[in-house]
Amino acid sequence: MENNFYLAWSPDSKIQEMGSSGGAVTSLLKFALENKMVDAVLAVKKRNNSRFDAVPALITDPDLVHEAAGAMHFAPLNMVKIIKEYLDGAMDMRVAVTCKPCDARAFIELAKRNQVHRENLFLIGLNCSGTFLPTVAEQMIREAYGENPQDLAGEEVDGGKLIITLKDGSTREKDLEELARQGFEMRENCLRCSYKIPRMADIACGKWGNKGNAATFIEICSSKGHEFLEAAVQGGALVMETATDEQIEERKRKETEAVENAQAREKKELDELKGYSSQQRLEYWVGHLNRCIKCFGCRDACPICFCKECYLEPYRGCIPGGETPPDIMFQLIRLSHVADSCVNCGQCQDVCPMEIPLTRLYNFLNREVADIFEYEPGVDINQPPPLTTVTDQELFIDPPDIIYEDASAR
Amino acid sequence: MSNDFDPKILAFLCNWCSYAGADLAGVSRMQYPPNIRVIRLMCTGRIDPIFIINALTRGVDGVLIAGCHPGECHYGKGNLYTRRRVLMTKKLLECIGIEPERLHLAWVAASEGPKFAEVVKEFTEETKNLGPNPLATLTREEKGK
Repeated sequence: MENNFYLAWSPDSKIQEMGSSGGAVTSLLKFALENKMVDAVLAVKKRNNSRFDAVPALITDPDLVHEAAGAMHFAPLNMVKIIKEYLDGAMDMRVAVTCKPCDARAFIELAKRNQVHRENLFLIGLNCSGTFLPTVAEQMIREAYGENPQDLAGEEVDGGKLIITLKDGSTREKDLEELARQGFEMRENCLRCSYKIPRMADIACGKWGNKGNAATFIEICSSKGHEFLEAAVQGGALVMETATDEQIEERKRKETEAVENAQAREKKELDELKGYSSQQRLEYWVGHLNRCIKCFGCRDACPICFCKECYLEPYRGCIPGGETPPDIMFQLIRLSHVADSCVNCGQCQDVCPMEIPLTRLYNFLNREVADIFEYEPGVDINQPPPLTTVTDQELFIDPPDIIYEDASAR
Repeated sequence: MSNDFDPKILAFLCNWCSYAGADLAGVSRMQYPPNIRVIRLMCTGRIDPIFIINALTRGVDGVLIAGCHPGECHYGKGNLYTRRRVLMTKKLLECIGIEPERLHLAWVAASEGPKFAEVVKEFTEETKNLGPNPLATLTREEKGK
C-alpha cells in the first residue's frame, strides 16, 4: 500500500445497512476486537434508541459493536476525559476510540503531558462538519421541520444543508443558514472550528469524496493506521480500493469550503471581541463571570484540565470556599491553565448551567497565544507545549518581550 | 488621570541578580519611587501566572518582574520560562480587558543598580498614567466590599 487515500466498505450487508457510509468503521472495530488487536472499543451509542441521547460506551464484545454504528450529529460528547479519568489514560489496555477532530486533538495534548498513553490508543478519526446540542436539535426538528423528533432515523450535513431521514424512509432538507436565522445553530465552537478532517488521528474517515457511494473515504495518517487497515483487509473484514484523483479532489474541495466558512466565522466573532475597548471587554467578561454558580462543571468537563491538586479547591488558598459568585480568579486560573492548549471542543460551555460563553473566552485567548508561540494545540505530538519548554536559541535572545529573533520583524 | 495617584506595585525579584541589583541601588543611595513592594524569589521561574493574576485581582496596580539576563540564570533557563509565561499572561490580561502594560518584565543583573532604579522609575510612571487597576475596583464593587 503506497497511497494514503482509500474508499472502504464492509463486505457484511448487515453492517453496511447499519453504518452510515458502508459501515467501514463498524466493521474495522469489530475486526479489531475479534482479533484482539485492541482490548476494548470506546464509541458513541444511542441510549433508549434516541438520536438525541448519545452516550459513550466501552465495548468489549465484538457482537455489540453494531450498537455504536452510524454517524451522530447531535452528540457533543468528549471521549478524552473518559479515557483519562476512568480508564487510567489507557495505561494498561489497548483501546480503539472513535473521535471527532477535537477529541483527537485533546488526546494529543494530553499525551504530550503524559496523561494518556498514546501507544495504547488507536484513534479512528471521524470527519466532522459540526454538531448540534441535543436540546436545540430536538426543538429544531419539531419546529423548523415540523416532524416528531422520535421519528428521526438519521441526519447528515452536506453542502450547507442539514438533511434528515425519517423512519418511514422519506428525507427533508433545509439550509443551515436558514435554520440559523430561526435560531437553530450548531454549537458556536463548531462553527468556528477549522479542523474538519482529523489528520492527527491514526486514520481519518468520512463520506467526503465518496461521490454518493455507500463507502467511507479513509485517509491513513500513521503507520498504526496502516497496520490495522491492512490486517482488516487481509482478514476479509473490509473491502478497500484506492481512491481516484477525482475523489481526492472532491474531498479536498469540500474541506476547503468548510474550513473557509469556519475561518470567516472565527474572524468575525473574534474581531467583534477585539473591537471592544478594554473597559468594555472587562465589563463584558466580569458581567458574564459574575453569573457563575461555581458548580465546577467546566473544570470537570474540560479534556485538558488534569491537575490532581486543583487550584480551584478552597484548600489551595486561592479561591475562598462557600461564595457565589466565586472570586473572579476562579475563571482566570482556568483560563491561564488551558491558554496554550485549549482545543475549542466546547465542553465547558455545553455543561455551564448559567450559559456563560466560556469557549469564546478560552478560544479567543488561545488564538492570541497560538500566534505568539507559533503553536497549534493538538496537531503535532512532537511539538512540546509552549509554556513548559524553552529552546537553546532563546538563551541568545535578549529582549524580555520576544522569544523568536524574527518576532521583532513581525 | 490626576498625578497624585499613588500606584501600588508588586515586584518579584530574583535572589541572584535583581534583588542584589536592588540592594546595590540602595547602598549606592539611588533615588527611586517608593511604590514597589518586593517579594524575593530564588528564581523568576518560580512565578506562576496565577501569582500575577491574583495580585492584580487583589488590588495592586502593577506587577514588576525582574530577573537575570538570558543565559545568566543561576539555574540555567528559569528566566526563559518566565519570559514565555509573561508573554502569555500579558495576552490573558489584554483579552479580559486589563491593560497588559500593568505587567512588566525586565532583566536586571546584580551589577546593574542604576538600571534597577531606572526600571522602577519608568514602570511607576507608566502605572501612574494608566490609573487605578479597573479589575480591582470592579470586582470589589460587585461584591460590595
